[in-house]
Amino acid sequence: MTDYRKRVRTALEGGWRFAGLHASEGGSVVRVLLAAPDGSLRLEDVDVEGRAVPSIVDLAPAADWDEREAADLHGLVFDGHEPLRPLIDHGAATDRWTVRVTGDDAYEIAVGPIHAGVIESGHFRFHVVGDRILQLDARLFYKRRGLEQTAEGRSLEGGTAFVARACAACSVANGVAYAHACEDALGLEPTAELARARTILLELERIWSHLNDVAAVCAGVGLAAGNNLFAALTERARRLNRELTGHRFLFGTVRIGGSALELGAKDVSAARGELESLRRQAASGWRELTFNSSFQDRLPDIGVVGAADATRLGAVGPAARAAGIAEDVRSVSPRLTYDRFEAVVPERPAGDVQARLDQRAIELWQSFELLDGLLAAPVAPAAAAPTGRERKIGVGRVESPRGATSCVVERSGDRIERLRLRTGSYANWPVVAFAAADNLLPDFPLVNKSFELCYACADR
Amino acid sequence: MLTMLKDLRRLRREERLAQPDRGRSLAIRHVDAGSCNGCEHELTLASSPYYDLQRFGLGIVASPRHADVLLVTGAVTSRMREALLVAYDAMPEPRRVAALGDCALGCNLLGTAADLVGPVEAVVPVDLRIPGCPPTPDEIAEALLRLIDSRTG
Repeated sequence: MTDYRKRVRTALEGGWRFAGLHASEGGSVVRVLLAAPDGSLRLEDVDVEGRAVPSIVDLAPAADWDEREAADLHGLVFDGHEPLRPLIDHGAATDRWTVRVTGDDAYEIAVGPIHAGVIESGHFRFHVVGDRILQLDARLFYKRRGLEQTAEGRSLEGGTAFVARACAACSVANGVAYAHACEDALGLEPTAELARARTILLELERIWSHLNDVAAVCAGVGLAAGNNLFAALTERARRLNRELTGHRFLFGTVRIGGSALELGAKDVSAARGELESLRRQAASGWRELTFNSSFQDRLPDIGVVGAADATRLGAVGPAARAAGIAEDVRSVSPRLTYDRFEAVVPERPAGDVQARLDQRAIELWQSFELLDGLLAAPVAPAAAAPTGRERKIGVGRVESPRGATSCVVERSGDRIERLRLRTGSYANWPVVAFAAADNLLPDFPLVNKSFELCYACADR
Repeated sequence: MLTMLKDLRRLRREERLAQPDRGRSLAIRHVDAGSCNGCEHELTLASSPYYDLQRFGLGIVASPRHADVLLVTGAVTSRMREALLVAYDAMPEPRRVAALGDCALGCNLLGTAADLVGPVEAVVPVDLRIPGCPPTPDEIAEALLRLIDSRTG
């Protein structure tokens, strides 16, 4: 076993989690990002010899997509990663990126990239017998814009725009992960006031996002009343965002080294009032959903991802917690204001559609409570403080509405040499494909909506 | 369930959404050609009780075969170009194309030359432009209604 693999294995055995992998310096080095239970982050490097580099996919199956992406971008060969299927290379023949499924009555259904609704673009290839899904090959990256590559050579400050463009639904989480990475490299540490401003923005984003997710699951089973009610609440949450920051998706609120967010006593008091009203309405709607038996009947035992599989596949966020894995980056985020935050899991952590939906509700109540405390005092513009510890490579990790989002920034002075953004959606897409297997095809939209991942921030 | 329906009825009463007198309709097929997902999220809420796009006869349909309007979001990526053209070709005449959002209009595009084709009009002819980053649900609704009203006969 190579030294690199040994280092990664020792870390994983010591409770560290795989948090991302990318190739850098023109494909001559591969870096693995690891996250400790206490939140500390570290990189392990390995030099590429010729085009070859040892794979760690057997040690950390969550590295599957990362290694395939690095292989496609830089022509690397990950020794031991068999078969090394293309991921973002759409030029490859179908049989190179799909799993061959044969047998009596087995056939394929190709769906997308354009879907029948207001949905982002991506391609799903279902291998089925009758209505039963045997295997799902998801092919994303139709929306690849090459944002990370275009950001190379720009200033760190200029990089903010590329991260923001990756995804509207995760713009704050991605922005804070990037800002943290840059500040880590520049030797800056958020002051308490800056940390609070960012935490408010992160929780505002989570609230509209989770309200939207509940609406999406209602839409997934065709419950129009539930969908409409939670869509209305989502609208109110976005209007509140605009009241507080001037933008419904909180665009332009996160920058490196400081925050311009300014909320007076009247603003925060009005925001708390509106959030309390939203919370009551959401709780009332949630109660209605709980007692709607025809709705509830659709949810259990569908799209099951148990704790062992969730851990193995590197699931993050509500999807992992719904399987009983009590991990949340917020509980280990000293650069944000999550004092004594504890990850919660549902009473019935079955890892199915019901558990993932329940998890959204639990987290909504948590976020409403967090925001009520965070907005107890006015918010003033704030700046980060120098620590004197400058580094070439900075890292950041944030809990987005969809799970742990990691960012690595490699710099040369003020210029970006390499930027990697690994979002909660990127981590969870392979989990969706796993969850779909052995379910009925008509349940797939419901399974998919119980994750409600973004395509945009996976594709970049 | 009754409480939920009551809440929605109250919301409708309070919002006092106008009852349309247009007597026309538009069937819309949405295509995401490479957006950041912001336009999708706002378009989704255009159907929410605060805007209720459906009351104007505006509905999202599942196939371009059923569509009057192709509503395209995002700057067109090189991987979505072909799918966009296939959807456009599948539409019956008369057909219109609406470009939704600043990216679709070609404003401040970010990405590599290999990955991005350009604005929607670089691939299909555009009849309606809806600016915004992203346009709000009411801006989307107003623009689409202008398209209905501009039709003659």
